[in-house]
Amino acid sequence: MRRWLGAVLTAGLAGCGGGAAVADGPVTVTLWTRAATETVSKAYAAAYNATHEDTVEVTAYPNEEYPAKLASAAGARALPDLFAADVVFAPQYAAQGLWLDITEKFTALPVAGEVAPAHVRNGTWEGRNYAVPHTIDMSVLLYNKNLYRQAGLDPEKPPTSLTEFAAHARTIDKLGGDVNGTYFGGNCGGCNVFTLWPSVWAAGGDIMNDDGTASTIDDPAMAGVFALYRQLYEEGVAAPASKDEAGPTWLGALQSGTIGIAPAPSVWLGIIEEKTDFELGVAPISGLDGGESTFVGGDAIGIGATSAKADAAWDFLSWTLGDEAQVEVVAKGKGVPVRTDLAANRYAAADPRVVTINSLLANGRTPYAKNFNATYNDPQSPWIATFRGALFGDASTALTDGAAALTASLAK
Amino acid sequence: MKLLHPVTGGALAILFLFPLLWSGYASVRTADGFGLENYARLFTDDSGIRLYHVVNSLTVALLTVGGTLLVATLGGYAFGRFSFPGRDALFLVTLAILMVPYATVLIALYVLLGWIGLEDSLVGLSLVLIMFQLPFAIFMMRNSFAAIPPELEESAQVDGASSVGVLTRVLLPAVRPGLVTVALFAFLSSWSEFFAPLILLNSTDRFTLTLAVVNMRTATFGAIDYAALEAGVTLMALPCLLLFVLLQRSYVRGFMSGALRG
Amino acid sequence: MTSVLSRPAAVVRPTAAGRRNPRRRRHALTGMLYAAPTAFMVGAFFVVPLGLVAYMSLHRWPLLGLPTLNAPANYTGLADDRLLRDAAGFTLTYTVIITVLLFASSLGMALLVQRRRRGTGFLRTVFFLPAAVGFASASLLFLGLLSAEIGPFGGVISVSDSGGTALGAAILLVLWRFAGFNMLILLTGLQAVPTEVYEAARLDGANRWQTFTSITLPLMRSTIALVLTLIVTGSLLAFDQFWILTRGGPDNSTTSLVMVVYRKAFIELDLGSAAAVSVALLAVLVVVSLAQLAVLRTRSAP
Repeated sequence: MRRWLGAVLTAGLAGCGGGAAVADGPVTVTLWTRAATETVSKAYAAAYNATHEDTVEVTAYPNEEYPAKLASAAGARALPDLFAADVVFAPQYAAQGLWLDITEKFTALPVAGEVAPAHVRNGTWEGRNYAVPHTIDMSVLLYNKNLYRQAGLDPEKPPTSLTEFAAHARTIDKLGGDVNGTYFGGNCGGCNVFTLWPSVWAAGGDIMNDDGTASTIDDPAMAGVFALYRQLYEEGVAAPASKDEAGPTWLGALQSGTIGIAPAPSVWLGIIEEKTDFELGVAPISGLDGGESTFVGGDAIGIGATSAKADAAWDFLSWTLGDEAQVEVVAKGKGVPVRTDLAANRYAAADPRVVTINSLLANGRTPYAKNFNATYNDPQSPWIATFRGALFGDASTALTDGAAALTASLAK
Repeated sequence: MKLLHPVTGGALAILFLFPLLWSGYASVRTADGFGLENYARLFTDDSGIRLYHVVNSLTVALLTVGGTLLVATLGGYAFGRFSFPGRDALFLVTLAILMVPYATVLIALYVLLGWIGLEDSLVGLSLVLIMFQLPFAIFMMRNSFAAIPPELEESAQVDGASSVGVLTRVLLPAVRPGLVTVALFAFLSSWSEFFAPLILLNSTDRFTLTLAVVNMRTATFGAIDYAALEAGVTLMALPCLLLFVLLQRSYVRGFMSGALRG
Repeated sequence: MTSVLSRPAAVVRPTAAGRRNPRRRRHALTGMLYAAPTAFMVGAFFVVPLGLVAYMSLHRWPLLGLPTLNAPANYTGLADDRLLRDAAGFTLTYTVIITVLLFASSLGMALLVQRRRRGTGFLRTVFFLPAAVGFASASLLFLGLLSAEIGPFGGVISVSDSGGTALGAAILLVLWRFAGFNMLILLTGLQAVPTEVYEAARLDGANRWQTFTSITLPLMRSTIALVLTLIVTGSLLAFDQFWILTRGGPDNSTTSLVMVVYRKAFIELDLGSAAAVSVALLAVLVVVSLAQLAVLRTRSAP
């Protein structure tokens, strides 16, 4: 058995060498992504295929089962030529060697310095680059301007601190009826990572140490943010459904038009306005007493470690980072360009709110941790237990106990 | 006691039918009344169902049904009417298939299919599905064969028929209810299987119907399109329910009223 | 044949005994030949992968790159895994509840439709109908049924509300989906009891309950053993219903053992530990099943 396996493993490893030996002529490059980012990946591929000899073929998998799909494909040494993944999972995949090392190719790009720095950092492991940004989604405050007017607030003056955010939410909540001041995903790990952490960063605090191996969740800034949301929930200002929101109905709640102001993914701006008739405002997420920050989410993409078409794959990747793809594919489709120098492009110029979103990119953060998924995103993660304790349970012990559990999980 | 039966039966029947009826109802309910919009969305959505998904699902179902019938008929014959060294051990190992967590053995199967060049193929997927069908199928066929009165076989043997001849001419007609049951279950489970195709198939054009339906669940940014979901569930269930009702005569009744009683 | 599900009677032709008997040897060879496809399928697609899983459980097994032997670290590491402990506790509780409820309702339903009366054919069909819906589809169906958006109970029952309702929803789903299937198996056992036996009991003056406990149940023992084994095995390996309906929540209250296996393999990318949990689970299942069969056999032995 052992020798048999050994032979297979060597054969597999030999296949990892890269695509230098591929014969000339057009090749088909496979690209995997999760359903959530499928539209963007397909738009990139369509534009690329229209102007290039090679063809990029996109396959999307259900979001929840996508990590399982990747892991089993890697285990069988059958990774696609390119695959995208939630950017917070990138350090884990880079560390496991699922992507090819692209350090030399990436740093040689003239625009390398302009590519979303937080994303690029997450695609590195031990100083080497493995992935580049594919799509970007940032957390912002979305507020309902109609409700602002009804409540007597100035729709052009969004809150500049979390305290002010709470005050606005309370004022709107007084409108009564179906209307609630705010909403959040109280049973969703990924949602709270995305929406609460920027408030901690804006106040100069942090949630983890720099290399993502120890939790600093007991940071007073974090406790303050939790206390504020807890109070909003207890007062009934946050919609009661917030407690059980595990993600699936989050967008629906904001689309209903009965929520005053809430942190949410920036890409929802277009999605919500497309289906409703109220006007949305956009503001950066702030700390308790001011400041601003954002969580730079989205997907990172790299070349599958077992790919035999690495050169063709890199050709596509470098093209996606270029001006043409970023402006004519991403910005035109109302997305956030992955390059900081393209924040004010000709499509964004039509809507000042989009420029607000795009300009957050340069100073936004993407937390870096090898065991991010198991620690924070997964439904069984210690993070969910921690914040549910802090928001709805015994707040005093939740953070100290949580810090230990989170650190244990990060250090695995 | 006489009154209990229709009342309990009726109440239970409503309880059991309710989810299916509701699913059908929810799938045709739209924002303004009733219509087939939810179904239309299934087919027109960017990541929705295409004809090739249906073809793939049918291919996998047919391969699985055919393969399961072949293996289980021969195996059931062997287990039910022969005695040979290792018979009980092989039978127990076959039943042990039921006892392994799906998630882990699938990784190993993925690796294995890669070794034999059947990765990302409908044939490879079908082989795996046949394997998962075997505990039930072999069990069923073994009992079906064992229940046939020995005289039936002996009279054929006296006529000088070989074991193959006995099997095809005399025994197969006698185990027909078992065969129908095995075929039906192989169809039902391969048609609606989700996890194995997800892990074992890589190319979009090889995806099955279930994968396409589940894919739709998450396509629009984590927001579940419940109405389209129920349309998908109903669409997936319809052929199964139809087949079930059509085949009912030949297997539920046959199953109950004698062929197996021996 | 007293029961369709009992072990097959010895079907070897009663020829002269003796190991060397050529006819008997040919008979065995023919049997092996017919069993060969089964042996191949089971060997290639079950035993070999299972061996690979067992081999994996002894190694630190990265997704790519060479595995390194680390036995028995994957097994000893399981001892202080709190999630695994909680999941084991939950899975056992769930198994006990489901075994009792599912078995009782299946048997009740089998008795209800046992005799041909007006409407029994319809009832059998209705009870068995959910088995025609794939389990993943059924779980999705219930997800919609219990959702606040379109479900008729929207807001009243919420699977993310408390551990109790989440478990309740999963139990309802499993009862709905599998009761009919188990009923059918039990029905074959019931029908296999020869009517003469009942008549004899009636002549002896036994009442319904006595007939049921002292004649029906003992004669159905192998069917009951089969149904119980199926239920217990299925529940200890429960995954789909929780994965789709509850995601193991709220607060990990419905996280089953196989979900932990899944999490270790695909979220933590720790294939070695995932394999170790699977091997341990398999061992438990084999022991439980053998014990179940043994108990049912000896208890009903004359």
